[in-house]
Amino acid sequence: MREFLTIDIDLCTGCRNCELACSVHHTSTFNPRRARIQVIRDEARNLVIPVVCLQCEHPLCMEACPTGALDYNEAGVLTVDEARCIGCGACVTACKYGGITLDPIERYAIKCDLCGGDPACVAACEYGAIQLVAADLDGLAIRDHNIARVATMLGIAQEEQQ
Amino acid sequence: MTFPYKGYAGKYLEVDLTKGKTIVKDMVKEWARLYLGGTGISSKILWERTGPETEPLSPENVLVVGTGPFTGVMFSPSGRMMFASKSPLTGIWAESHSGGFFGPEMKYAGFDLIVISGRSPRPVYLFLRDGEAELRDAQHLWGRETDVTTRMIREELRDPSIETAVIGPAGERQVLYGSVIIDFYRAAGRTGLGAVMGSKNLKGIAASGSLPLEAYDMEKYLEANRQEMEKLRDPLWAESLGSLRKYGTTDLVAIINEIGRLPTKNHWTGFYEHADDIGPEIIAERYRIAQEACHGCSIGCKYIYRVRDGRFASAPAGGPEYETLMAFGSNCLNNNIESIMYLGKRCDQLGMDTISCGKSIGFAMELWEKGILDASMTGGLELTWGNIDTMVELVEQIAKREGLGEVLSLGTRRAAEKFGGDAWRYAIHVKGLEASGQDPRAHQSVGLTYATNVRGADHLRSLSSLEELGYPEIVIERFGKEKADKILDIMSPDYKGELIWDMENLYALVDSAVICKYGTMWPPVYYYETFANVLPHLTGMTEWGDVAYVRQASRRIAHLRRAYNHRLGITRKDETLPHRLLKEAMPTGPAKGGLPDLDQMLDEYYDFRGCDKKTGFPKRERLMELGLDYVAEDLEARGMIAK
Repeated sequence: MREFLTIDIDLCTGCRNCELACSVHHTSTFNPRRARIQVIRDEARNLVIPVVCLQCEHPLCMEACPTGALDYNEAGVLTVDEARCIGCGACVTACKYGGITLDPIERYAIKCDLCGGDPACVAACEYGAIQLVAADLDGLAIRDHNIARVATMLGIAQEEQQ
Repeated sequence: MTFPYKGYAGKYLEVDLTKGKTIVKDMVKEWARLYLGGTGISSKILWERTGPETEPLSPENVLVVGTGPFTGVMFSPSGRMMFASKSPLTGIWAESHSGGFFGPEMKYAGFDLIVISGRSPRPVYLFLRDGEAELRDAQHLWGRETDVTTRMIREELRDPSIETAVIGPAGERQVLYGSVIIDFYRAAGRTGLGAVMGSKNLKGIAASGSLPLEAYDMEKYLEANRQEMEKLRDPLWAESLGSLRKYGTTDLVAIINEIGRLPTKNHWTGFYEHADDIGPEIIAERYRIAQEACHGCSIGCKYIYRVRDGRFASAPAGGPEYETLMAFGSNCLNNNIESIMYLGKRCDQLGMDTISCGKSIGFAMELWEKGILDASMTGGLELTWGNIDTMVELVEQIAKREGLGEVLSLGTRRAAEKFGGDAWRYAIHVKGLEASGQDPRAHQSVGLTYATNVRGADHLRSLSSLEELGYPEIVIERFGKEKADKILDIMSPDYKGELIWDMENLYALVDSAVICKYGTMWPPVYYYETFANVLPHLTGMTEWGDVAYVRQASRRIAHLRRAYNHRLGITRKDETLPHRLLKEAMPTGPAKGGLPDLDQMLDEYYDFRGCDKKTGFPKRERLMELGLDYVAEDLEARGMIAK
């Protein structure tokens, strides 16, 4: 079954340990800018928003890729084929959620690959804010709840109601 | 030879503001081997480059901005960094540490340390990115408050992920306790290092980096890290961590008032009858809106508050810590929590230490009560206890150095000299640094901590929680069964010399690593073994795997900082307590009647430290066995070696 990460921002303290764990897993170094999960902070507005790939049903990033570098691996997770990626950034523009970005050193696209089923960020989060859930009704409900919270915090939900 | 060790960024930056030059240099191998990082390396640099002739606010003074090998590499809690210099407030050794995100970012930007000297002809700020440094014009930032400054820097460099260390108007005007504000509401508050930056026309430092930090052996390092974290997760500490996560340091208002140690009415007593009004439950229930953590921290003691309406209504901001609640609250007999939050936030925006600022106001309030100050000297302000209007006005005046604020911006020691007469009796400081929120009349070893602290009267160089909160197993393990009962007796002076000597050594390492006091001070989990377990795998320095080497290094750093102060004239006569805390028995509360037996504790401390009891000067052989030959030679020539 397909799986994805979902984050409860009410539990997130913005410590960014998930970024560190992710960078260790993927680069064997401590380098948050190369992490596939990012915590966006804007202290002036009390915003702490973790961002990670939603593993979409219909990935806009894959559609936008001109070289076919984004494809599903054996486990069914959409991943970047570094050899085919030309670093154009079309996927970054296409993604509505900031779930894919360019590696600042290697210049190819990077996105969450769920670490082969045992995500390093989930283990590293001392506050239990990150969950790996199955893409079934329960999992989707959890994600729906968590996204609604982010929308409320950003003021988007209120705007839509008006 | 290039710098061989991992965990470090491997480079440091030399900044000469007079010439407008920045030079990138390789880190020095011996610095890491002998002094580790942060406080340790800073003490070596400042020993070599500053001394008795250095005026703190002159171009000659040197400011070190430091991180340690633990910064930014997932050790929890490690999201910290530090500053060191010669203090304009006290005239002696100065260091101040802060949490947040700037320290790790500075390392990802490529630098372990920044060594800043000179004075820029016009305001500038330093920008670090991926191994490069640039001095940028800051004339448009000069005069701006700290939060506005950070927003403007992020906007002008089009990088929202930039982290900053900046000063506000108080530092620019050289208020002697001007602070450096990190990421909006975390502060390197103490000892006036913001004033040092102001004197150099340096508005701030901004960093953004995508450079990697490596471990010598990543797998073994992560495993050692996991083992240490496991100790912190022991059910034994569940309550402590739960409290830190729910209340942060505000919980201390209740814990400390309960033992009668909460400074109240300018340290007149240690018990505040309205303590419940200023924390912790009221904050958690009414004002707290979120929990936060420093970089990579699993404890998460920081909180965000919001005052929704009324005079002190505020957008969300970092909540006041225990020390701020004490300084603007109990110590000024002010039980209006919303005003304390406001005053704390103003100090962050203006860039001032909340402790020294609040304590200077409390001091002035007592002078008013005693008739030493009257309306003719205060510009008409009434300094009655708990007068919120006056406190709000004074904070602004101090930052501007106007009116009564001009004198109070000098701190209590110098203000007392200006006021003359009996004013000195009410200036609660050691070596010129206003006392933090403890009282030795309710906790003997605090007296020794205050007296021997290299930067003055505060708790962060050697406070012991072992007897305060009662951890018998740990006391027995560290000091032996036969001493345990006496050590655990908070009002007994026995064996406190050894206890505080050990704490001071341990914290010298904590401040060099650079990690947080939480996890070491409270809960008391990490000890010398922690460093021996983790450092070799992280850095590749095998010698640090030997606990004896780790302990020796801790003593080396502690001795070097003390020697720095001796050279400036500090001796046993300065290692004392203010009159009130030494001679006036605690008048009310649970610790009523208490007084510290300072001389007994000091004698024992000097014995353990290897110092002469009359002067406090170190013994030559003690310095030699720590590899501090150059210190021994220097002190010998000045007649500052124990006979």
